[in-house]
Amino acid sequence: MDPRVAAVGTSAFGRTDLTGRDLFSAAVAEAFADGPDPAEVVDAVYVGNQSESYEHQIMYGTLLAEWCGLRHVPAERVEGCAAAGALALRHAVEDVRSGRRDAVLACGVEKMTAGGTAGATNALSAAFDRALEQRTGVTAPSQYALLAQRYLHDTEATERDLARIAVKNHANGAANPRAQFQRETDVETVLDSDYVAPPLKLFDCAPVTDGAAAVLVANADVAARFDDDRPTVRVAGVGAGANNIGVADRNLTFVEGAHEATTHAYDEAGVAPADIDVAEVHDAFTVCEALLSEAAGLAPRGRGYESALPPAERSDGWTDTHLSTSGGLKARGHPIGATGLAQAVEVYEQLTGTATPTRQVDDATAGLLINEGGVADAVTVAHVLTT
Amino acid sequence: MTDDTDPTTAPLTRDDLTADSPFTLPGFFAALDSGDLLAAVCEDCGKRLIPPRPACYACGGRHLHVDPQPKTGTVVSYTEVRTPPSALADRAPYTVAIVELDSGARLTGRVTVPYAEVDIGMAVQLIARPPDDDEREMALSYEEEWPIHEFEAV
Repeated sequence: MDPRVAAVGTSAFGRTDLTGRDLFSAAVAEAFADGPDPAEVVDAVYVGNQSESYEHQIMYGTLLAEWCGLRHVPAERVEGCAAAGALALRHAVEDVRSGRRDAVLACGVEKMTAGGTAGATNALSAAFDRALEQRTGVTAPSQYALLAQRYLHDTEATERDLARIAVKNHANGAANPRAQFQRETDVETVLDSDYVAPPLKLFDCAPVTDGAAAVLVANADVAARFDDDRPTVRVAGVGAGANNIGVADRNLTFVEGAHEATTHAYDEAGVAPADIDVAEVHDAFTVCEALLSEAAGLAPRGRGYESALPPAERSDGWTDTHLSTSGGLKARGHPIGATGLAQAVEVYEQLTGTATPTRQVDDATAGLLINEGGVADAVTVAHVLTT
Repeated sequence: MTDDTDPTTAPLTRDDLTADSPFTLPGFFAALDSGDLLAAVCEDCGKRLIPPRPACYACGGRHLHVDPQPKTGTVVSYTEVRTPPSALADRAPYTVAIVELDSGARLTGRVTVPYAEVDIGMAVQLIARPPDDDEREMALSYEEEWPIHEFEAV
């Protein structure tokens, strides 16, 4: 079967008094506003969710199925730190592709602000190897800083180049009504922000975000029950792979898992990097956008940091892909388990021509999602969406 | 090269995998406490894996032997943790680094040198010491006596 994105929705992103299930309700309300009720079409539910420590709540599959009116369907939580959302999407796609199910709800939710910065720091540290990394006292920013330090050492990139990525994504976020930060910033503001883990500064880091996103993946028959005035968006390719958990053991300047995952997704979709009009790359930290652009073949090795430049000004070997038009994790927000699905929402809007005019890429027909968990290369998931 | 009766070589039997085995974390930390930093060396591709485990993810091989690693190496990358996990709040800021040992094995650890004095390529050596109070607070019950590894300048 040919899996399609039948409907999408998100909550608002940012700090809120709403709980995880409430945020999910908002995402579902949007996704199903113009179509049948979930109970009429949804055959299974996968929930991307990073950590039970924020709300002291597991059983998220059951809870969210119940909260959207479903009973006696398979429903489960999928975990892979920040890749959980795309892992949920991948399960939905595989279920529909196999013909086993007609429509599957992939959703993600995270209530990150519950424990403040310390709560998020502690919860995210669980993604790192307990034996050696956690005992060292590493944090998410410091893990990515180890990548950034080496990237700046091995390439011509500077902290100013990384700052430009944050500035570009804030400018995109300013044009996205879903974004947590709908405001622009400038390079000096980024460079003047405090170091969190040098060379990464506060404005190199995605924020702590509450939010949910929902994507209904369906076969053609079910998809036709939703708004069929829009172009059909197909999930044409998927790739996923776990590399390893310890950052020390990796190639620090080439994200091998992202290369493998995107290559597989391109092959399934029958596209090349140059065909990708829009890409949501996992800019949890600015350096990720540079690294993942290279791994995905969108940028030549060592030049991914030029992602903030207009396509015509980038080095030879770059594609013309527009990167993180949503504002990325940096500005749209990074509700961990929902992020991979928020990426799908953005590319869906781009491919259906329903993005707000100032961020809409003209004639976009192919989009890439790269979602990763556990410091760039522990697990990476890539999806290619096409019209 | 493997010997089914030798606990320092894999493949392992189910009965080999006790808390004394260097292929388990209790065994690895017991050896570290005694002064040996152990890696599992893959006999098929040569990769050195810290901590040891029964299979090599680089090549899929399951023939490995445990080998003490040199304590000296160089900094591959480094940073400074300024917003630490809660348990280590009083210790921040502290330097962490990825270190490549002289054998080629790599691991992450704290460095007992201020961030500004560290650079890529800097020579360091590994030490292991008992956990301090804050590190014990962070530990789960079975981890409380596991030593903490750190790097210091050579």
